[in-house]
Amino acid sequence: MQDPDPTMQSLAREEQDDLLTKLTGLAEKTFPSLLVPPSPTAHLSAMLELKAGVGGSESSLFLTEIMRMYTRLAQMMGWQAVVVTNSTTDHGGTKDAVVEIKGEKVYDMLRWESGVHRVQRVPATEVNGRVHTSTVAVLVLPLVEDKGSEVDEDLFKMDEVRIEVMRARGAGGQHVNKTESAVRLTHIPTGITVSMQDERSQHQNRRRAFLVLRARLMDRKLTEEVTNRRDVRRSLVSSVDRSEKIRTYNFPQDRVTDHRIGLSLRNVASVMDGGGLQDFLDGLAKKHQDDLLEEAFNTL
Amino acid sequence: MRSHYAHLGLLSQLSSALGHESARLELRWMMQALREASNRQRGSSLAEMVARRMSGEPLQYILGSQPFGPLNLLARSPVLIPRPETEHWTMRLSEYVTPSASRPISLLDLCTGSGCIPLLLCHLWPSGSVRAFGVDIASEAIQLASENTAICGFHTPSDNPPSQSPSFRNTFRPILSDIRDPTFLRKSGLYPPFHVVTSNPPYIPRREYDSLPPSVRDFEDRRALLGDPDSEQGDGLTFYRDIARLVANEKLLADDGVLAVEVGKGQAKDVERILQDQAKLPKTTIWRDPWLIERVVVATR
Repeated sequence: MQDPDPTMQSLAREEQDDLLTKLTGLAEKTFPSLLVPPSPTAHLSAMLELKAGVGGSESSLFLTEIMRMYTRLAQMMGWQAVVVTNSTTDHGGTKDAVVEIKGEKVYDMLRWESGVHRVQRVPATEVNGRVHTSTVAVLVLPLVEDKGSEVDEDLFKMDEVRIEVMRARGAGGQHVNKTESAVRLTHIPTGITVSMQDERSQHQNRRRAFLVLRARLMDRKLTEEVTNRRDVRRSLVSSVDRSEKIRTYNFPQDRVTDHRIGLSLRNVASVMDGGGLQDFLDGLAKKHQDDLLEEAFNTL
Repeated sequence: MRSHYAHLGLLSQLSSALGHESARLELRWMMQALREASNRQRGSSLAEMVARRMSGEPLQYILGSQPFGPLNLLARSPVLIPRPETEHWTMRLSEYVTPSASRPISLLDLCTGSGCIPLLLCHLWPSGSVRAFGVDIASEAIQLASENTAICGFHTPSDNPPSQSPSFRNTFRPILSDIRDPTFLRKSGLYPPFHVVTSNPPYIPRREYDSLPPSVRDFEDRRALLGDPDSEQGDGLTFYRDIARLVANEKLLADDGVLAVEVGKGQAKDVERILQDQAKLPKTTIWRDPWLIERVVVATR
């Protein structure tokens, strides 16, 4: 560029611009993808377990809304969402629910939703207009494809599972015609239990209970893999602590805040409609990517 | 919101009869059934369903169906509603006996009712591995079993035009006949021996019958429940003695065949003895149901 010839100068400048673009591309895209391996969980769908927390009926009302938020998001993303089980309260709320969401990268995109979601607002039932704080716990589990069989040899063996019916039936048989289809599974090595009673069909309840059991065991396996990874740095996002408060939905201030990435967005309604939620998911995915990159550098 | 309060009212009514937890589940299943029926014709309202349930009618008759393994069978008064205990041992039998299209078997189900046992086996065993027959004394049962057979796709070619060559399908044929009539096999056009004989015969003793829950006693066929139809006393085991006689005298069961009969609570040991002594089936095993009650006697030679 110090060349006295102006033609050479302009050629050099062009070439420099070109190289800089290439270099930036390498540094920002190629390098990280070389350092950070592709996600081993990209093929997994997800199972969301939602549980009402503190706040009584207001908490179960908010759970119904959170559940809608995720099913709306699923619609927008072209995923399939099915409510596997939910227990509704007498007041239109939901005490707990399991939602299965199937599609590409569902687990990778939703896994950071695990944690305590907090709502601050004046409940419809509050006569004095005071703002209440209630919570809903969300647990996102990796969903292994249902291959039709109950056992998944990678996760458990059939003789490790105790299958029980839940209520007494007296003499049973011809003496009793009450529907009794509730099923409880216990995975003996881990002590994980799954109960299912929503369907009239014992067969269906059993199938669904095994689905949940596989998801819980898969989750456990993935968590163990992360913990066992050499020199792993405990980042905020990949924290395994599911009792942590991760997000606040503040209705009076019309603001949603994610406490892990410090992101605050206005317009609670757009988040609850699923669309606004994507900004948080993108932010969390980026944070995870950055964490992985940092980890990769530190272990070079 | 108005319908929400209406539901709450129905729920509290139903809770007084069934307890809260069962009421919540059953109300939900009624609403589900109504939603599924709404595309066709809406037969009854939720309030009518709840009123029927409050009067003691079994949920299965109100909804018109009962899941049985992966099948969803029709249920209609007065035909005996398939029980979860029967579902459980039928699933187990499907793994205990393993026919194939190259080694097909024949099966006879005595007192077949809705046809639940042979239909589930037809469903679980490979195509072309079983030809099943069922006998019942009640025409309502045979009618319902025939409808269930058509729904499940196991009707025999004579019932309906076959969709494919019969030898590649499992088939079930329900037959109206009285198994206590010594000539019933010949009259029914049945040709023993059978590789598998199953039965969930009526086994409730007279003294227990009167104290049955009203949803059983007042709605289900007494001919499917009362173990000793001709007697005011008895141990409820008349049908097991009849079945033993058929095995001993009519060569009902093939030499390497399997007999599996459901029994009532506390009857397994007595039935085991009847099958050993009278049916001359020396090898017997007792299977427990999921509630750990001895439920089935399996007998072979």
